[in-house]
Amino acid sequence: MAKQTDGVSRRTFLASAAATGAVAAAGCTSNTGTETDGGLSGDINISGSSTVFPLAVAMREDFTAEEMHPNVDISVNSTGSGGGFTNYFCTGDTDFNNASRPIKGVEEGQCSDNDVTPVELKVATDALTVVVNNDADWFGEEGKECLTVEQLAEVWSAEDKPTTWSDVNSDWPDEEIQLYGPTDASGTFDYFIEEVIGEEGSHRTDYQSTEQDNQIINGVANSEYAIGYMGFAYYSENTDRVTALGIDNGDGCVKPTLDTASSGEYQPLSRPLFTYPAQSALAEEHVAEFARFWLENSTSESIVADEVGYVPNTEDERDEMLDRLDSAIEAASE
Amino acid sequence: MSGSYDGFGRVSRRIGKLFRGVLFASTLAGILTLAVLLVYVANDAFQPLTADPGWHLVFLLTLVVPTLATGWLSYRRSYGTLATGLLGIVMPGIAALYAGGLAALFIDVIPTLVWLSFVIALAIPAGVIVALRRTDRSVPFLAELSAVLGVTVGSLLVVPGLVQGLPTVPADWMVLVLTLGLPEAFLLGRWIEGRWGRRDGWIAGAAILVGSAVGGVVGMVSGFGAVPGVALTLFALVPTGLYAAIVVRERPDRRIGLLLPAVIVVGMVAGELLVGALGFAGPESWVDWSFLTSTTQSGDPRSVGIYSGIVGTILLMFVVAAIAVPAGVGAAVYLEEYAPNTRFTRIIDVNISNLAGVPSVVYGLLGLGLFVRYGGQPTGTLLVGGATLALLVFPIVIISAREAIRAVPDSARQASYGMGATRWQTVKNVVLPRAFPGILTGTILALSRAIGETAPLLVIGAAQVFGVPDSWTSTIGAMPLQLYVWASTYASPAFYTTVLAAGIVVLLTAMLSMNSIAIYVRNHYEQR
Amino acid sequence: MSGDGATDGLTRRTQNSSRELLAKAFFFGCAALSVATTLSIIGLLVYEAAKFFTISAPLLGIDGPTATLTEFFTGSEWGLQGPNLGVMPLVAVTLMVTIGSGLIAIPLGVATALYLSEYASERARSYLKPALEILAGVPSIIYGIFAVAYITPVLDTLFGVDGLFNVASACIVVGIMILPMVASVSEDAMQAVPDDLRQAGYGMGATKYDVSTGIVVPAAASGIFSSFILALSRAIGETMAVTLAGGSLARSFDPTSLASYLSLFDPDSYLEPGMTMTAAMIQLLTGDVTGGGLAYRSLFAVGLVLFVITLGMNVLSDVIARRYQEDYQ
Repeated sequence: MAKQTDGVSRRTFLASAAATGAVAAAGCTSNTGTETDGGLSGDINISGSSTVFPLAVAMREDFTAEEMHPNVDISVNSTGSGGGFTNYFCTGDTDFNNASRPIKGVEEGQCSDNDVTPVELKVATDALTVVVNNDADWFGEEGKECLTVEQLAEVWSAEDKPTTWSDVNSDWPDEEIQLYGPTDASGTFDYFIEEVIGEEGSHRTDYQSTEQDNQIINGVANSEYAIGYMGFAYYSENTDRVTALGIDNGDGCVKPTLDTASSGEYQPLSRPLFTYPAQSALAEEHVAEFARFWLENSTSESIVADEVGYVPNTEDERDEMLDRLDSAIEAASE
Repeated sequence: MSGSYDGFGRVSRRIGKLFRGVLFASTLAGILTLAVLLVYVANDAFQPLTADPGWHLVFLLTLVVPTLATGWLSYRRSYGTLATGLLGIVMPGIAALYAGGLAALFIDVIPTLVWLSFVIALAIPAGVIVALRRTDRSVPFLAELSAVLGVTVGSLLVVPGLVQGLPTVPADWMVLVLTLGLPEAFLLGRWIEGRWGRRDGWIAGAAILVGSAVGGVVGMVSGFGAVPGVALTLFALVPTGLYAAIVVRERPDRRIGLLLPAVIVVGMVAGELLVGALGFAGPESWVDWSFLTSTTQSGDPRSVGIYSGIVGTILLMFVVAAIAVPAGVGAAVYLEEYAPNTRFTRIIDVNISNLAGVPSVVYGLLGLGLFVRYGGQPTGTLLVGGATLALLVFPIVIISAREAIRAVPDSARQASYGMGATRWQTVKNVVLPRAFPGILTGTILALSRAIGETAPLLVIGAAQVFGVPDSWTSTIGAMPLQLYVWASTYASPAFYTTVLAAGIVVLLTAMLSMNSIAIYVRNHYEQR
Repeated sequence: MSGDGATDGLTRRTQNSSRELLAKAFFFGCAALSVATTLSIIGLLVYEAAKFFTISAPLLGIDGPTATLTEFFTGSEWGLQGPNLGVMPLVAVTLMVTIGSGLIAIPLGVATALYLSEYASERARSYLKPALEILAGVPSIIYGIFAVAYITPVLDTLFGVDGLFNVASACIVVGIMILPMVASVSEDAMQAVPDDLRQAGYGMGATKYDVSTGIVVPAAASGIFSSFILALSRAIGETMAVTLAGGSLARSFDPTSLASYLSLFDPDSYLEPGMTMTAAMIQLLTGDVTGGGLAYRSLFAVGLVLFVITLGMNVLSDVIARRYQEDYQ
């Protein structure tokens, strides 16, 4: 169109119009409607525990893979177990809530006020892991670093609030303790209070609290006198950057591993992880299908243990959970 | 006045020079710090050092040297020639970015058939308005208004269902040719008709229409994709061709400047072919096609992508613009053209400048309270996010629109009134058209502020792992939010110097492209 | 506000047609929306924060845990477990970020303004001013990533930072971010100084240095000062950069003891992590938010404090700026 030509003949115009028409005719298809062919579609919103978060993300990734259900849009938010229940799940905003502890009575009450019926599904077992810096050498010889439950409680409880390591044990360095842990909205936090500090005690507040467990790893990895705790999955991705402490519950020191967690040796910190679909949401096919997919893969070594870093369900557990899910789906569709 | 100047003693120039040097260094300090940081980011994102030396050599010879030589030649000719050439390469680049974004919307978000049905449904009332305008102005305003409203509502209720129920419908790319290519061909054809005459207008219009269809066919055949083919033709190739045509016809003295983009394109293609033939490996850049188009979220930096964030940001910007621009311009018109000089007006005045200083996280609280808690909307949706960001940029749009309106000379208004125009007619026919470039500049700058906002989206509860949204009430993510998630949820050194650097490059590219459009519009109209 | 006088009489007859009235009503509605926005911000913050305080919560029918005003404003700890609801530890870290970023932005900003206004050629200005605008335009999340990924390692090599988070890196990036605001508002003030004053100075044999420091800066003082306040209020409201760079450690800070105020000026304390008001708000979001619990209500209480401080500073800067405008017009 840049060049000056000597006029457009009628013929040129007609030719181009005809060409356009031909292309236009070629550009028509029969109407298949707007719904997508095959596969399921719809939105799924998931809130809750940061501990279960990586597991949920892994399941999302596999479920929405191209050959599975690419048109299901799953969003996952790491809000802490409690934060998820009170703010998102029990208000009816999300379809699933992940939790690193069972749902509390108060939360169940809030849910039922809004006609939300949570269905408890155990999806894995975690070893809540206490980590310190790789250069911290006062916890015992390399490979056998250890802390007793009492010492752990002393470090984290609001009563003693030791500021230096020597306050906990006079043989330890006179250096300030740097604390990294989950926020109070976290199930990990609740579980830690329950099992380590004790229900009547309270957790100290002068620590770096975050719902992003990798920040805990980062903080500990960068500071020699730091200690932190979070779900095993985050440790298992970073075994070279931080050191996991063994925990001595009176029967000698046990390191957190998938084996010690599944055998129940790692006490008191091995714990079940849950996801709670809302029963009403299960009436939708894509939600029910995702819940079933998650449970069916909850025994998968490759996803749960290798990719994420938790202890997979046993087949018996899986079958029990599938039965529970099926009856919930049935109840929902009635 | 401080200091005492009693007597003309010897004046030393040393202090003055030193002072000037210190001031200059201070001026550069911040700019250079940012520049250094950006160099680090670019290095982490593109990893240029991982390429074969041969790869660098090939591109040095095919691309860098010819580009510099051509640039120097153009500059020798005149500064304007070089500027012509630079614009000729920057404009298609930016246009291609936006065409890509548009294509993404039609591929993943808006089903083309739905789009077509709504375009037709809205075209009907538009036709009615035009018809009403053509008739003699005997229709009373309120009757006209209710007629238009009635036709619009009726058409929206009936037509989409009808169109979506048709047995045979245009293919995706054909819908774009019809809904976007046809109007573009018509508008640009009219514009060219006014500029170069009737015949050229017709040729251009036909060429645009045919070209877009050809783009679709070529895209389909080549595997590039028919929808991106049409989008790229309409929004990158056509403007570029038009630009080249304007330069060739109207600025023959600058024609040589067009050599620069040609040399760059040829150099890139030649370089790419050569490194392929010679087997030199390119850099292992983190900004690559899979990073831009992958929706994967995981703890592995190699597999993740920013696509959901890009689409989320585009949609958010549409919502923000749709809410903030009419409201902001309307408020500016009121304050500049209607408001009596009263106490209330002054309160609005002070209020707007203070609103602009409210921290963004507080706007997030406003959105959370207003829309989520009391408005009953679910958390973190497209609509809530967009509305919250719209409130955030609202004062900025008002302030810049007011400046633009104030810059319209009073004589123009007086002339309009003198012809018997009413206030609304003056606003519509004189003030707004004249102030349009300024308003456009301000709007784009306001959007480029909104594009980087993270805190308000976090506060309204946007998700950490999100997909491509498909409705108003889908949970939405955005590019800056994606960066925050990588920096916090997936925080690890492996993320910080890899995909985060790549994400920064993408976000900054989007932001700077908007800013450069704004600056271009401003400069272009200031010169007039 | 134009067209008030002469045209009024001419347009009055057609002013009351329904088309005119509708247009006017639409424009008025848009302008009123800005007032409505402010009122909603204030109303929402005050209403939700009122549910947080013991004194007002019962009136609004809240029977959950609350905080007394004394606790909130004089408590030395921040944390939602137990009786630790003092906002001052957060305000203290916010103050540190303000001081630190001010130390960077104020001298550099004023020097930049002086250079641009008095020394730079027209051509240099045309390059430097857009470059400075870019500094302000880069999103704060990007500055936060800069701080963690590139600046903290440098600080670590220089001073030995313990851990990943520290207030100093936040101060540096926030300082860079607000620098253009100091520079551009100060420069406007300097440009507003009438040339007569400069000529008078030169006439008395003053050098350019004398004129710049002895005449322009004092004459523009109120404008320069208002730019400081405006920029520092931006630093206070800054969120993402301080959240990523500063970490989420609620420091303890006793607002009743002088020593704790002095510690704000201790350089070592800048190398440690600290949580600002805005960072605490982001962290609270991961907690009990939309359900209306204590965290949700405290979020609004902190937001109210933040809003009041920044609004106060904006108004103050406005008042000061208006004064200098009156001086020369």
